[in-house]
Order: sequence, then C-alpha cells, then structure tokens
Amino acid sequence: MSAQPRDLRRRNKAARISRASGLASGKLVPHERTADLLRAVIEPGDILCLEGDNQKQADFLAAQLASLDASTMRDIHLVMSCITLPEHIELFKKGMIRKVDFCYAGPQGGAVADLLASGKFPIGAIHTYNEIYARYYIDLTPRVALIAAAKADRAGNLFLAANTEETPAIVEPTAFYDGIVIAQVNEIVDVLPRIDIPTDQVDFVIGAPYPMHLTALFTRDPAAITDVQILMAMVAIQGIYKEYEVESLNHGIGFNTAAIELLLPTYGEELGLKGKICKYWMVNPLPTMIPAIESGWVETVFSVGGEVGMERYTAARPDIYFTGRDGSFHSNRPMGQLAGHYALDMFLGASLQVDIHGNSSTVSKKRITGFGGAPNMGCQPMGRRHPTKAWLKAGREANPGPGSIPGRKLVVQMVETFQAGRVPTFVESLDAQDPSIKAAMQGVAPVMIYGDDVTHLVTEEGIANLGACHTPEERTAAIRGVAGYTPVGLKRSSADTASLRERGIIKLPEDLGVSPARANRSLLAAQEIKDLVRWSGGLYDPPAQFVDW
Amino acid sequence: MEKFQQSFPSKPVAWPASKKWALSGVVGSGNLEVLIEPNAAAPASVSYAVETSFPGYKDSWLAALGDFASHYAVGGTTITIHDQGASPIVITMRLRQALDLLTSAKP
Amino acid sequence: MSRVPYHELKARERIAAIVDPGSFSEIIPPPERVMSAYLPKLGIPVAFDDGIAIGRATIAGKPVYLAAQAGQFVGGSVGEVHSAKLVGLLKSAARDRLPCVFLVESGGVRLHEGSSGEIGIAEAIRAVFDCRAAGVPTIAVIGSDIGAYGGMGILSACCDFRLMTEHGRIGISGPIVIEKWMGKEAFDSSNRALVWKTSGGKTRFLLGDAEALVNDSTDAVRDGILSLLSRSAKPDLAFVKARQKFLQERLDTFGKTPDPDAIWAALGVRDVAAATLAEASEFVESFAPKKP
Repeated sequence: MSAQPRDLRRRNKAARISRASGLASGKLVPHERTADLLRAVIEPGDILCLEGDNQKQADFLAAQLASLDASTMRDIHLVMSCITLPEHIELFKKGMIRKVDFCYAGPQGGAVADLLASGKFPIGAIHTYNEIYARYYIDLTPRVALIAAAKADRAGNLFLAANTEETPAIVEPTAFYDGIVIAQVNEIVDVLPRIDIPTDQVDFVIGAPYPMHLTALFTRDPAAITDVQILMAMVAIQGIYKEYEVESLNHGIGFNTAAIELLLPTYGEELGLKGKICKYWMVNPLPTMIPAIESGWVETVFSVGGEVGMERYTAARPDIYFTGRDGSFHSNRPMGQLAGHYALDMFLGASLQVDIHGNSSTVSKKRITGFGGAPNMGCQPMGRRHPTKAWLKAGREANPGPGSIPGRKLVVQMVETFQAGRVPTFVESLDAQDPSIKAAMQGVAPVMIYGDDVTHLVTEEGIANLGACHTPEERTAAIRGVAGYTPVGLKRSSADTASLRERGIIKLPEDLGVSPARANRSLLAAQEIKDLVRWSGGLYDPPAQFVDW
Repeated sequence: MEKFQQSFPSKPVAWPASKKWALSGVVGSGNLEVLIEPNAAAPASVSYAVETSFPGYKDSWLAALGDFASHYAVGGTTITIHDQGASPIVITMRLRQALDLLTSAKP
Repeated sequence: MSRVPYHELKARERIAAIVDPGSFSEIIPPPERVMSAYLPKLGIPVAFDDGIAIGRATIAGKPVYLAAQAGQFVGGSVGEVHSAKLVGLLKSAARDRLPCVFLVESGGVRLHEGSSGEIGIAEAIRAVFDCRAAGVPTIAVIGSDIGAYGGMGILSACCDFRLMTEHGRIGISGPIVIEKWMGKEAFDSSNRALVWKTSGGKTRFLLGDAEALVNDSTDAVRDGILSLLSRSAKPDLAFVKARQKFLQERLDTFGKTPDPDAIWAALGVRDVAAATLAEASEFVESFAPKKP
C-alpha cells in the first residue's frame, strides 16, 4: 500500500506559518506588517472568518484585508456573523469573495441589497448565530480566522474582557482543525487579568494601532419611549408576563422592551409581581435594566455580549452578572443563544413586517438585513424536556396531540401596526417572499420567525393568542383582529373578531384591566439616561453620544 | 383643513354624575385632542365631529371611529376631535384615554 | 426613587397632581369653546382651551388661582385668547387677594396672531404688577423642558418668585436664535449640556434668578409652591433699584466669563461634575453656596 499522507492540513498550516516566519517575533507581529502577514497565510479558495458580530469588530484586520489586491486575495469563502463595516463591503466590491455565509447585515443592509442586485453578493445562506457556529465544526471550518481581543500577553494568551461574545466559538474549531488564528488586540501586557483563550489556540497576535470597534448597540434612551409603547408594555405585562408567570426571558432590542424593563419597578410593583416574574434574564447588560435590578427584581443576567458604559456597574454587581476571577464581566454568545433556546420561558421581540400567517422578516429588496439571533430565540425548542409553569400553560393552550411535545415556549412578537411614515407592519405577503430575493437564496425566502412558532402577537390594539388558534384560518383572523387600520386589518370580519374576543383569543387593553389613560411616560422608572446614571449610583458611564448634561 | 361629522350606533354610556365632560390629548404634531360631552337626546348613538389639518384619511378615520363605537359603550355622547396628523394608533389610544378619564373614579 | 416626574406630565395632569383632589374648578373650560380666531385662517387646528387651563383650586387647603400652559400646542405660545385667560386670572387674583400660580411651559408670544399676542402679554405683565402692588403673591413654576421663553420669560421674571427644577429653563431668545445671531462657536444650540447649564434651573438658582430649586417631582413642586404662597415682594422704587444694582454687579463680575462651569466654580461650587449630576435637593444641600 502506498504511504498516503493523512495530515495534509497540518503540513499546509506549517507551510503558511513558515511563509510568515520573517514577520513575527514569537507570535507577535508589528501592526505595520499586517498586510504582509495576511498575504503570507491566506491562500485563494480559503474559508476565511472575520470576527464581527453586531457589537465587536476586528476592524483593523478587516481594513488591512480590504486593502489587499484582488489578484492575491481571491476566491475566498467568507464566513462571518455580521457584515457591519464599510470595509466588509469593500471585500465584495473588489471581487475577492466567491461565496458568503453570514447571519446579519443590519448597518450594511442597504449596501448588501445593492451588491446583490448587481450580482456581487454570492450568498451561501443567511443563518442564525448558533447555526453558523455549529457549521464551523461541520462544513464551514475556517482556514484562517481574524479575531479581536482586548489584551494579549507576550506569550500570545488572550483576555477578552467584557466582550467575549463569539471569539471562543470561532477560535476553537479553527485551532483544532489546523486553521490559523490571528488576533488584533488593544494592548500587549506582561500579565493578563485572566486568560480567556490560551496561546495554544492562537498563531499570531497584532497590537492594533487603535482599539477595536465597539458599538453601544443595546443602549436605548428612555427619552425616546412613546406613550403608545408604554400602553403596549402595560398590555404585555398584564396579558403575558403576569398571566403565564414568566420567570426566565429574553428581550429583543427595541424601545418596546425597554419600556417593559422600566415599568417593572412602577407598574409591575403595583401589580404585586416582584419575585414572581422576570427573575432570570438572558440579555446584554442593558442600562434600562438598572432600575429593576436596583429594585430587587432580578436574580441573574447572562449575556451574549457586553455593552459599552456598563463595565463598572456589572463588575459591582457580581450577584447578578457573570464575572471572571479578575472581577470583570464575562459574556458568551453561543452559550447565551443556547440558553435562549432551551432555558427560557419566553422570548419577546419585534419585527418590521408580519404576514397573515404570523411569519415575520426584516428583509426587503432595499435592505438585506438577515436574522441575527431571532430565529433561534423565536422558535419552539422541540428538544426541551424540563417543565415550568409558563411552558406547561402555553402548551395546554396549543392543545398538542399525542405525538407532540406537551409544552410551548412563549414566543411573542410585539409590533405597532404602522412603522414610521405610515408604512404598515402587517402585509398579506412578506417582501422577503419576493421572487428575486428567493432566487438569490436557493429558493428559500429569508423568514426570520415562522408563524407556527409564535404564541402571541402584541400590538397597540391588544394581544392575539396565536398559540391557542387551532386552524390557519383562525390564526389569520386573530392577526387581522389586532392589525388595526392597516389594509390587512381592515379586511377583518367584525363577527370573527367579536367571537375571538369572546373566547379570549383576542384581548383588548380594557379586557386585561389596563387603563389607557395611565399609559404615559411618567409611569417609567427612569425618563432619561441621567436617571439611569442616578439609579446606578454613578456606576453607569454612558457613551458620549448619550450624555446631554 | 378637513371637517366631517358622523354618527354610529353604540351601547349607552354609563355617564358618571360627578363629571360634565372629559378631555384627552393635546393638539400638536402627530397628536390630537378628544372632548367627550353628554348628548342625552340620542342615547343609542355616538356623534363624532372631526377637524383635521391632514386631509385625505377619512376612510381610515371612519374605520377607527366605527370600531371604537362598537367596542365600547359611548352611546349618548358627542365626541369632538381637533387633529394635527395623528396616526390611527394614536387616534384609538386618545379615544380610549378620554373614555377612561370619563369613567374612572378620579375627579 | 419612584416619583411622579413633573416635566413629563401634560398641563392638566400637572394641575391634578398638585392641587387637592377634586378642588380644581376650571374657568372657561373646553366645552365653552373659547378658541383662537386666527389659527383656522392659517389652516392650523385649534385647541378647546387655546393651550392654557385656568381656574381656582386649593393646595393643602390654601385657595389659589392657577394656570397651566400646554407646551405641545403651538409651542405653548400666547395668543389673544390665551393671554386674555392669563389677564382675567390675574385680575381675579388681585380682586380676591388670592395667590396666582403659573405652571409655565411656553416659548412666548404666538407670532401667528400678530400683535394680539404681543398686546396680550403686555397686558398680562401689567396685571402681574397690579397683583404685586396689592401684595398678592405671583409664582412662576418653570419645570418643563420647553421652559419659559420670550414674553413668558419676561412675565415669569416679573412675578414675585420663580420656582424651578433642573429641567426648567428661563430666557428670552431661544438657543437656536442665539446660535443664528452669534454663531456656533459662541453658542452651539445642539449642545444640550451647554443650553441647560446656561439657562437651566440649577444655574438660575445659583445666579439668584430663581428663588427655589426643587426635585423634578410633583410632590416637591407642590411643597415648593406652598413655601412661597404667603410671600410677596412689593416692587417699589427702592426694590427695583436694589435689583438693578444686583444685576449690574452680576454683569460686571460674570459678563466676560466664557462658560457656565466657570461661573459655578466662581460662585463656590467645588465639584462641578458631581453637582451637575446631583438631584436638585442634593444640589441645594451639598453643592450650592448657602444663601444669606
């Protein structure tokens, strides 16, 4: 038998490392030589992973990559969570990318749509976060991973500080399948506060000339919360949080959820709900959670990422947040998403469009945004086996058959019937179902959350309990019943709506004991960022754009 | 400015003896004010008078006003509205708030 | 830390939160439909109360005349009807010898109504002085983000007392106008911190333009009003001359000071950053120099 080599990847890795040998001293490479390093270790055809979720970006490495020539950097299969920077778009404009698999493109949604229309955005698929991390172990293992860390020591160990996020999820599969890990760091020090990634898993470290890009993505200014959002928040608290005794939950980004968080110490307290609901959270360290935490509502918060400005507050609250031996905050995106899937009573989030089946999406022809974590958080966990009160109650309402799981996670979509500019949220058919979009995605429309998985829809009209609807027609009638004066809503039959209201499938604010006259901003525990700073005893450091005093 | 009036059947309101009128909202951009007054002459219908500086949305108005009349007991009232471009969302909320202010125990 | 924030409430909600429950008896209430004759000609919707609710009430049992302006309605501006309600209220207060309290939220004269608004505010200011001459207290409560500007700034300055919160501002020309005339380098109207440091309650209290600074809660505002109800300062010649001397000295001292933080420090505020963040009661207690 001929001696066939079985370690081709390992040999190839060694060859790449040796091409870069003149550039590094140990594992450290001077930042001026970054472009040379990338040219040395990346080969055409590689699966390349760029770290960047919607908060933390390896932006120096992205810029260096984008500065390369398309003749040396070509045929790349790009895998990454979030396409957020102009430098990412540059890679496509230069024709470097053969295929892209990603999760979210929010800030670059318009640019991506333009690229797609001109045939320069070859999509593999849009994923939810844990899905792409899972594929890093199956068929999308990165050959080269460009990541970001807060600090490194001279041996190449990495400290991730508050924004751990997805770094381990990228590094582990790459490191253990003979890929190359290159880290940009803010600072190189003698001793790290703690080691988050050991040097064994790191090949090159670059002290970047500027700190990594970090967005305060989850900070919502309470001053922007409207009366309508407060009414909806009161409705949600009465009709869902209290009704189902929601103890563990995740809030999607938005002003609706910020309103709920800020109503707990006031409205929630009035209803006697402290200690009964909202105890265990999977959310980022949101500033709008501070009043509820200080008022004793919260047992624990685990996070997928950090939040700029919350470093001192989280470090001072180790009974609430997960912190390392060094005393500072720790987050983990894949584990947070996993917790969000299996370990929560409820997910509550928003969307831009909802159709008459309850499907929702944020994708349109003008903006290809993708999904982020929503598909994972907003779906039914069919592998779950442990019961809670909320899970059992929602399950009973769904009336499952003998071959079906007896419990349901509460998956709540909370939307106003109109978006800005009187654009209806409710549509007969999603923009995402447009043929040109489906064609770009192998015939599968990019639906973010499927109607079959949704248990409740909350609008300013009230709540529709879709989980208790037993036919598709009933579900559509319930959606029309709370779709207000959108074209979808105007098609409702008053007889159907009245019958659904009688059965308790549609509930108006008054049915829930919510007094609309009380829906105003004075009910919020904090009306502005300054109030949050005061609630935190001065521990919250809002980013400059939020400081107006 | 667009002005119109419309009546709808509605279950009779339980008008509290202690109140003579109720007002919700404020005239401002994207907002409206709603005044509810008693109209004993027509106990089984609500009579709306609307003045709006955003013409062209009458169908949307009538749908919202009609729904309010059928979901709530406001027969025997006149409801006068001054509007400056409120969305149907805000319109419905202010109507509900006016009725809430009328029927609540607070003076 | 839960309290009802005064600055968030609308005019009628402020009245309800401050007066004894059920004690507010409105004069010329909405159903009487005394409204602007000018706005319809301009295609602008009218308000039943022309943006101001006036009436009699009791606060902790003490009778007062009370007005609350709705800043959302044409900027809380004073038109013909609005000013007539102010004048009538002040005349009633003078006649009945009862304090007159204004919950101010206005940018000043309603330009849409031409000279009617100007004349109206002038009449209202005269009516304030008639009250003061009769020893009837007049109190301007300035606690909304819109503040007291233009003619309402002047009227507020003519009252016996100004009760402010950190949200309130008093001035004549608004920040945008100042920037337009003096340039962005001199005054950046988009810099909220600068705007409030210049005209807001804390600075006004330090400079002596506001007699009282209270927390942004309806309870604190009510207590603040009560503490001022029994006092009135007769504006005789000696009083006016003393005030003018005070203002001249202030101008001599601070006329060339480039920024409000420097004024605060010069007035004895030791930790400007902490003082900026502090709530009003803490500000008065721990940071502001004690008043003689």
